Amino acid sequence: MSQSLRPYLTAVRYSLEAALTLTNFPSQEVERHNRPEIEVPNTSAELLLQPMHIARSETEQVLIEPSVNSVRVSLMVKQADEIEQILVHKFTMFLEQRAEAFYILRRVPVKGYSISFLITNKHTESMKTAKLVDFIIEFMEEVDKEISEMKLFLNARARFVANEYLGEFVY
Amino acid sequence: MSSVLSIFKLVKAPVYSHCFSQDKSLLAITCENTCLVYRLPPANSVTSSTTPQLVATLANHDKTVTAVDISVHGRIVTCSQDRNAYVWEPLSDGSYKPTLVLLRINRAATCVSWAPSGYKFAVGSSARIIAVCYYEQENNWWVSKHIKKPIKSTVQCLAWHSNGVVLASGGTDGYLRLFSGFIKGLDSKEAVANSPWGAKFPFGALVREYYHGAYIEDVQWRSAIEKVAFVSHEGSLNVVDSQDQLQSVNAPDGLPFNSLCWVSDAEILCAGFSCHPVLFAADATGAWAFARDLDKAGGAAPAPVANEDLDESEDANSGFGISALRKFKQLDLKGKVSTDAQESAHENTITQLKPYVEEQGRVTAVSASGLDGKVVLYRL
Amino acid sequence: MTDWRRIDIDAFDPESGRLTAADIAPPYATQVSLAELQPRIAQLRTLASSGDMQAAVALATSDPPYSADAQAKAAYFQAVLETLTQVRQADIAGVVKALQPAQQDVLVKYLYKGMSVPEGQKQGGILLAWFERLTQAAGVRPVTHYINDRNTV
Repeated sequence: MSQSLRPYLTAVRYSLEAALTLTNFPSQEVERHNRPEIEVPNTSAELLLQPMHIARSETEQVLIEPSVNSVRVSLMVKQADEIEQILVHKFTMFLEQRAEAFYILRRVPVKGYSISFLITNKHTESMKTAKLVDFIIEFMEEVDKEISEMKLFLNARARFVANEYLGEFVY
Repeated sequence: MSSVLSIFKLVKAPVYSHCFSQDKSLLAITCENTCLVYRLPPANSVTSSTTPQLVATLANHDKTVTAVDISVHGRIVTCSQDRNAYVWEPLSDGSYKPTLVLLRINRAATCVSWAPSGYKFAVGSSARIIAVCYYEQENNWWVSKHIKKPIKSTVQCLAWHSNGVVLASGGTDGYLRLFSGFIKGLDSKEAVANSPWGAKFPFGALVREYYHGAYIEDVQWRSAIEKVAFVSHEGSLNVVDSQDQLQSVNAPDGLPFNSLCWVSDAEILCAGFSCHPVLFAADATGAWAFARDLDKAGGAAPAPVANEDLDESEDANSGFGISALRKFKQLDLKGKVSTDAQESAHENTITQLKPYVEEQGRVTAVSASGLDGKVVLYRL
Repeated sequence: MTDWRRIDIDAFDPESGRLTAADIAPPYATQVSLAELQPRIAQLRTLASSGDMQAAVALATSDPPYSADAQAKAAYFQAVLETLTQVRQADIAGVVKALQPAQQDVLVKYLYKGMSVPEGQKQGGILLAWFERLTQAAGVRPVTHYINDRNTV
């Protein structure tokens, strides 16, 4: 693991631990409803807590937005070139289309970020908080690895295709 | 000696609130849309192998029940996110007769507390209202009077002074407020004669107000020494007296508290998101400080993030998308264990602490309910 | 034509009791202006350039200008960020340990604020190093205080 990745993940871990202190909170606006306050517009300001930005560089960031009963975690995955942009887009799309299987995954990322999670008090009540944190940390590690692996594979494949195709013209 | 006296694994849903009857023979817990009542043997014969017997299910609510309390007379009051509260009168055959309380609130009821006399109770709500309810003989129902001003957000906790008049409340607007809940015909002026908190107590009057900032999660009186303690979402315990002297202590592990319980005049037990109770004590000068942890899980600090062996390369060519999906799912289902094998009795957040056994003015056992569906008895 | 289904009618109800961001700001007795802050900023710069990092960080994190307006806060923040990035990696742990708990709570505010703006994001590595040392010294407490505190830097 690289030198600067560890402090980055530590920061995310502590921020998440503090943010995942959620309570069951019935809506103040709508009768008999219980909604994630971070997601609804026109909510009362006191129900939102201070947002946390964690940045390793300008292209690799996490935004954690806590509220009284829900937390939104948005990741900006590093995208160094156009190939990586496409790969990240395809990869996160793939996951988002299957969001219902992943419980905490948000179907649409927050604007400016690659992928978002929404954790509500229902999740912290049925799952262990420490494991939710571990999951997100591990996801952050994996996604970088996955993208660079895919990029390598794509390059190898492109080289092979080019070889085969151009080989036709060699006599 | 272990500090855990007994663990009752009662339900598979979060328990937001629990309460014992006066003689500790009945235990009421909230469970989703119902309130469950269990029978227990006398407090001195409870051991780790005791199992509570379910004796009644109170099921009139159609939304999550948020709080339950039992009066000195054995009446159970429940309130729920369906905006209602019921008073359950015990009948001779062990069942309960519900009476709807006319709360007149249009949002969820969040917390409820009987006055020490057992003739009135207060309900806090998301409608930014505290409803003080009492029984009206001529109409045969429970009616309520509202305290509205200057509450600005959801009321999350309520506590009555032992004189049955001063009512402490806290909520998400970050203010601790003391109100007068004086009901004509029920309360007498003698109860608050010489009260250090004020001279006059007309209903709904704001007696004190303290700005704290963070959400106030629980408040409790120590009436004998005229002090009120509250815990907040920033992980602090605060004690304030009638001279407005406020003291604040931080949680040793930094996570917020959900509940507190006075153990003696100089000891307070708090519990919350760290899943184990924490004892605070005041020294001879009255300065509060952290004393000790109860039943803390072994291996304290959160495990370091970086495990070098994570970088083991898995076989790369087993189909990208699918392998990613599988990986994601596996992680999602099992998670990676970073906590130690030895765990505390509560596996999830503790929602409420209540005194269980009291000897010579000092609480020697407390009960704690948690999001893991357990009620745990701790020995002090 | 306005989409009347989406009109937030509660916003027109003076009795709705909904709190806005301005309502939840803590009650401040006085407001600090940029002119009043200038001497402190200058002092901070002098300390930082003289190499007394311990004193510089301690000054930066005591009594921050919570009640100032956005412009004054930005100027002060700029000076704090410069100070933080001048400290050598090896010295960070010592500086953090010497801070009072209240100062640590303020430090974490500046770290989060730093990472939310482009100037700070360029220095992400240094701010993260600060953050790591801070959590090693104080655990999760400063972060819990940060998310709940209505005083912003």
